[in-house]
Amino acid sequence: MEDRSIQIQLGIGAIAASVFLIAVAIPFWVSSPSNVPNVILSPLFWPNVLAALTGLIGAGLIVTSIARPRPEKPDASDVDDRPAAFTRLAIMAVIMIASVLVMPRLGLVGTAMLTFAATAFLVKTKHPRSALVCAVVIPLVLYVFFAHIAGVAVPQGDFVRLP
Amino acid sequence: MSFIDSLLAGLQLVSNVEAFLALALGVAIGVIGGAIPGMSATMAVALTLPFTFSMTPITGILLLLGVYKGGIFGGSIPAILIKTPGTPASSATVLDGYPMAEKGQAGKALGMALWASCTADLISNLALIFFAGFLASFALSFGPPEFFTLILFSLTIIAGVSGDSLLRGGLSAMLGLLLATIGLDLVYGTNRFTFENPNMMGGLNFIAVLIGLFAIPEILSMVWNPASQDGVARSLGRNKVTFQEYRRSFKSIVRGSFIGVFLGSIPGIGAAPSAFLSYSEARRKSPNKENFGNGEIEGVAASEAGNNGVAGATLIPLLALGVPGDVITAIIMGAFMIHGLQPGPMMFVLNVDIIYGLFIGLIVSSIFLFFLGSVAIRGFKYVADIPRGVLFPAVLILCIYGVFAVNNNIFDVGVMFAMGGVGFVMMRYKVPAAPFLIAFILGPLLEDNFRQSMLMSGSSGWVLFRGPITWFFWTLTAITVFAIVRAGIRATRHQATGTSQP
Repeated sequence: MEDRSIQIQLGIGAIAASVFLIAVAIPFWVSSPSNVPNVILSPLFWPNVLAALTGLIGAGLIVTSIARPRPEKPDASDVDDRPAAFTRLAIMAVIMIASVLVMPRLGLVGTAMLTFAATAFLVKTKHPRSALVCAVVIPLVLYVFFAHIAGVAVPQGDFVRLP
Repeated sequence: MSFIDSLLAGLQLVSNVEAFLALALGVAIGVIGGAIPGMSATMAVALTLPFTFSMTPITGILLLLGVYKGGIFGGSIPAILIKTPGTPASSATVLDGYPMAEKGQAGKALGMALWASCTADLISNLALIFFAGFLASFALSFGPPEFFTLILFSLTIIAGVSGDSLLRGGLSAMLGLLLATIGLDLVYGTNRFTFENPNMMGGLNFIAVLIGLFAIPEILSMVWNPASQDGVARSLGRNKVTFQEYRRSFKSIVRGSFIGVFLGSIPGIGAAPSAFLSYSEARRKSPNKENFGNGEIEGVAASEAGNNGVAGATLIPLLALGVPGDVITAIIMGAFMIHGLQPGPMMFVLNVDIIYGLFIGLIVSSIFLFFLGSVAIRGFKYVADIPRGVLFPAVLILCIYGVFAVNNNIFDVGVMFAMGGVGFVMMRYKVPAAPFLIAFILGPLLEDNFRQSMLMSGSSGWVLFRGPITWFFWTLTAITVFAIVRAGIRATRHQATGTSQP
């Protein structure tokens, strides 16, 4: 993506975020007591100031983008196959969300093993055997450190109980 | 407490095997982390942080400082051997380091990098010891208005870590400040963006945000483009750096160290500009200036002295004023807080043993760096050969364990992944992550001191201009903002002129 286009998109995004914060998010999700003696001390003051500054920066981004030169030819993409790259990202997002959701059931160690293996195969590792060995060994080593040395209560899950 | 008493208290605190072992381990982790292209000293410090929870504060912080020191040197190894700086600070080392490696003198270049790094590190540590206490005693008289103006000035450091667009850095900082407002209000205790979720009432976990911003986007980049281009490592060759060569470069090393100390003690400048300035000064003054860029050993010495000279000096504003000098010291500041310590002038009164323990540890870290660095130079081949398809999933697992261990809370892991997504989008849109993190840390301090000042004065804004200290920081802020805006306008004009020309 060219620099100018990035700048404009960021500017529009910042202004939209600013408007959303001032019009919706702050009035609905920030509560303030009714007896605040001065507006400066109100819990609403700081978020409003920051939201307004975000909008100003957004405007600045748009204004300065106008001064930027248009490239003669568009930037070359950093990946050959963009749809495949997006698919990999989507799968990675699913792996991350799934790891958070299944952690209470599978335990931290089991989840980490599955997450390791899934990620390694997602990026098509050239060393699948090493990846599988590491997928088992690294979570176990970390379990030993955190559970037995650091004293962290590592969730065990419903299926396997580790010593 | 006298200087000798403080020193003895510090010595008592660190004179145990654990402290020195943690320091040595930290240097080793840092050198390896810095040497792996795609990782960085910042990421290495962030990933090590969760392992310090079970340690005593001094041991944990020494471990992190070791990682920091090792990471800065470690970045020079791939810079010289595969023309890929392991950290941005090592970019200047490539200029002469890689041409030397091409001539079969990689061993000599790396040896000089190590000697220069250790010398600069030592000078930087001594500067820290001499200046931090002095600055802290001055800062003891600060009240909330003085701290507010100091933190406001510190936020201008964002200009130094914003990369090529100040506005994008500003946007990143605003997002960080906004994210820092999540949680219960500091004065009234009312909810701000908590959505009635008890996990969010204390604000978002710092480690989750930190690791989400700095480690997860690298993993997502790997997923986005798994075909990473690894460079070809040059062999070390049989040449070793001689004492004669070290002596010939000594002036440049000392000059570079002082440049590093000066720039490092100013929040936000960072190691990369220091390395380039040191390099250009060495080139300007050297009798072999025409050889710079073609494999001049003095060039390697100057750039490494410049970037390592920063490492101790960035701790001066952190320890004396409680203001991080760069992203890594921002993470180390988080580590202090996790261990129940608040860096700043009061630490020189309440925890003087820890301060002097750290000073002693830092001096020893230069020695460890020398020995472990020598080993790392020879072992780089094995580090460079770690397959990315195994390394990055391992980093992901490390992130999950580390973030979970902070509060034993799966919610934090979710926050880390969410922040990782934000960080990846920021990376794709060329929005720097460093201002986000610095603002996230400084945001609550800024707001807290502002509101305390207002409470003190019955909401009169004049309290923020109450004495010479506040005026001093207002003036510094105004000068910095003026310089930043002028540079921005010049850059915009330069770009516009570029378009009008055929």
